[in-house]
Amino acid sequence: MLLPKQMTRVLIVGSRGALKDTIEVLYQLESAHLIDFSAEEEGFSLGAPLPESSEASQKLLKLRSLEKDMGIDDEDVRGQMDISQIEEDLTQTIIGLEAEITGATESKNRVAVRINELEADKAVLQNFQALPLNLELYRDYDSLKVFTGKVRGDPTAALKAAAPQSEVFISENGDFVATFVTKAQADEAQRALVQFGFTEVPAPLDSGSPQQLVAKTDEELVALRSSLDEAEKKLDNLKEKHATFVKAADEHLSIIVEKAETPLRVGTTEYTFAMDAWVPTSEMPRVEKAITERLGGKVHLETMEVMARRESHSHHEEEEEHHETKVEEIPSKLENNRVVKKFEFMAQMLSTPKYRELDPTFTMMITLPIFFGLMVGDIGYGIPFIILGWIGLKKCVTNEWRTISTLLFFGGIWASIFGIFLFGEAYGIHFAEQHHDMSWSSLLGVHLPHEIAIGGFEIPLGIYSKLHNVKEILYMTVWIGIAHLFMGFCIGFYNKSIRYGLKHAVVEKISWLMILIGGALLLLFMVDAMIRGIEVSLMDIRMLVAIPLMLVGVVMAYLGEGAGAILELPGLMGNIISYTRLGAIGMSKAGLALAFNTIAFEVMWGHDFHVIGSNSGDTIMLIAALGIFLIGHLTIFVLAIISAGLHSLRLHYVEFFMKFYEGGGVEFKPLKVIRKYTTEKNGVSE
Amino acid sequence: MSAAVAVAVTGLASAWAEKEIASAAVGAMAENEKLFGKGLILTVIPETIVIFGMVVAILLWLNM
Repeated sequence: MLLPKQMTRVLIVGSRGALKDTIEVLYQLESAHLIDFSAEEEGFSLGAPLPESSEASQKLLKLRSLEKDMGIDDEDVRGQMDISQIEEDLTQTIIGLEAEITGATESKNRVAVRINELEADKAVLQNFQALPLNLELYRDYDSLKVFTGKVRGDPTAALKAAAPQSEVFISENGDFVATFVTKAQADEAQRALVQFGFTEVPAPLDSGSPQQLVAKTDEELVALRSSLDEAEKKLDNLKEKHATFVKAADEHLSIIVEKAETPLRVGTTEYTFAMDAWVPTSEMPRVEKAITERLGGKVHLETMEVMARRESHSHHEEEEEHHETKVEEIPSKLENNRVVKKFEFMAQMLSTPKYRELDPTFTMMITLPIFFGLMVGDIGYGIPFIILGWIGLKKCVTNEWRTISTLLFFGGIWASIFGIFLFGEAYGIHFAEQHHDMSWSSLLGVHLPHEIAIGGFEIPLGIYSKLHNVKEILYMTVWIGIAHLFMGFCIGFYNKSIRYGLKHAVVEKISWLMILIGGALLLLFMVDAMIRGIEVSLMDIRMLVAIPLMLVGVVMAYLGEGAGAILELPGLMGNIISYTRLGAIGMSKAGLALAFNTIAFEVMWGHDFHVIGSNSGDTIMLIAALGIFLIGHLTIFVLAIISAGLHSLRLHYVEFFMKFYEGGGVEFKPLKVIRKYTTEKNGVSE
Repeated sequence: MSAAVAVAVTGLASAWAEKEIASAAVGAMAENEKLFGKGLILTVIPETIVIFGMVVAILLWLNM
């Protein structure tokens, strides 16, 4: 569970005729991660795609264009189709569909264009409808010039002044005008019109009354619209009828193309092929058996190397370099159970673990929700977080949302636990009375105990108050930091020891562990001496252990990592102090909650609130107070997701992972078919 | 007074640093979405400055 699966490098060689079958078998085995063939090797060249690829690609291209015409989405697909059903006259169906859909789309487009034209004509005609003239009267004059168009005011008086012989018709609402002037006075008339913001609208070349023409256009439009509806309905029907088939065929063809193009990743000679791949060692017997049995001796599988975690140390520099590139390529197949898997995405968001290091997902699963819970630390928010996370895990499909839901769900559980037992509060209000603050027991007028007895044990309900025990909480978070970093260095030690051997691991990681332990002892001493004010002598046992531990640690780190190690010393202290954010964020939320609660309760019952209902407030105030309470706590709730979530992630990525995690590995991606819309009943899979 | 200065100045300093980093991170993410995780981490690194400021402030306040 902790290390990525062990990998074996294999070489699969065979006669070229068997290449297609080999690819088929590997796809069914789903456990070979192909290494792209590099064209360096002598006598080999890249393989050519299998012959079915080009035909399938062409069909795929057609299908995709049909998909676009019909506007098919994932939601339109109903159920799955078996590939035998798809393959049955696939070509005929595509040709038929193409004719049907192209026809429907074209007629739809034609109608849509005609509707646009008619609507434009109608808009022009509607202007002329307001004037009492037939359309033929606007043209064919020898001595007259006609201006028709829109105006912003009544230009009649100005026109009469500029061109006394003009005749003006203006619409009732005064925004459309037709002016008839003698050609001699046309310029003056036009100038007068421009003063009124004249925009010309030429009269249509039809004849007859505009009213009748509009009515006729309307009739035509109604007919066209119904035929457009029909065309759309027809397309919708086609979509409804064929969406499942089209999507399924798309998937089927894509898979064919993908498989047919696999030879591009394989080295070939005239008569043979050679395929380089990674196979998980545990899958090897299954793979070997399938290849010998199903490919009948035409293909041979050769185990090249079972990859150990240990880096081999060759002294020859060039060789080491060559080896390094090989190491980078080993894919990491993470092995986690169902619960831990939910956190994989979070660890991989930073980087995929290398083949030769621990997969940090498991450690993240444990500490991440605890940190989140500690920062929230309030059952009033914890329970909504659990519910929200649970709904998210049920409903969400994308990795991102599932990850957030996972964090909320598990973080919510810890937030509730800390909320009940450590801080004893809900919505920033303590259960039992403490420090004369408001508490649920004083507000509700019932007695809530400070602790409950379960089976003879006194379980406290609220040890610390976030705003009153600042010192204690900070001190506690520093120790959490030390413990977390201790864990980080231990994992680092393990990683180094499996990769480079014990000696390296001791020098590089045990040194830091010694410095950390020394620092922790020193912290105990300093707290006694400076904060508690206890008399301590410099010969205190803690000092006597801490100083040599740290000195030896620094020397070892210096030997292991060089002078850089000394520079990293203050960084370690910074890392530890960084964990105080666990307390600080909780405090800031408690402060916000206190502010909102105080405002809400004062609105409800005035300054003297002690018990709910002690002063009878009126209804409006009650609603206002409830509103403030709800909005205030909703704000804190949302802020909690962002700040607590981000900061707990950051503590892992920056402080914790830096102590051991390298990342930059390659994800294990075997040859594999993922079917969403198709099924393969007649397949020969095992 | 000194506690207030400690928190305020470190707050401003980390805000300024985060602004610079975040804009660069968004630019990098536009090119490669996979960088989101790294961008996020880089963006919150300066937050440590303000945490230091806060710790100093609390220590000052407690020892008053």
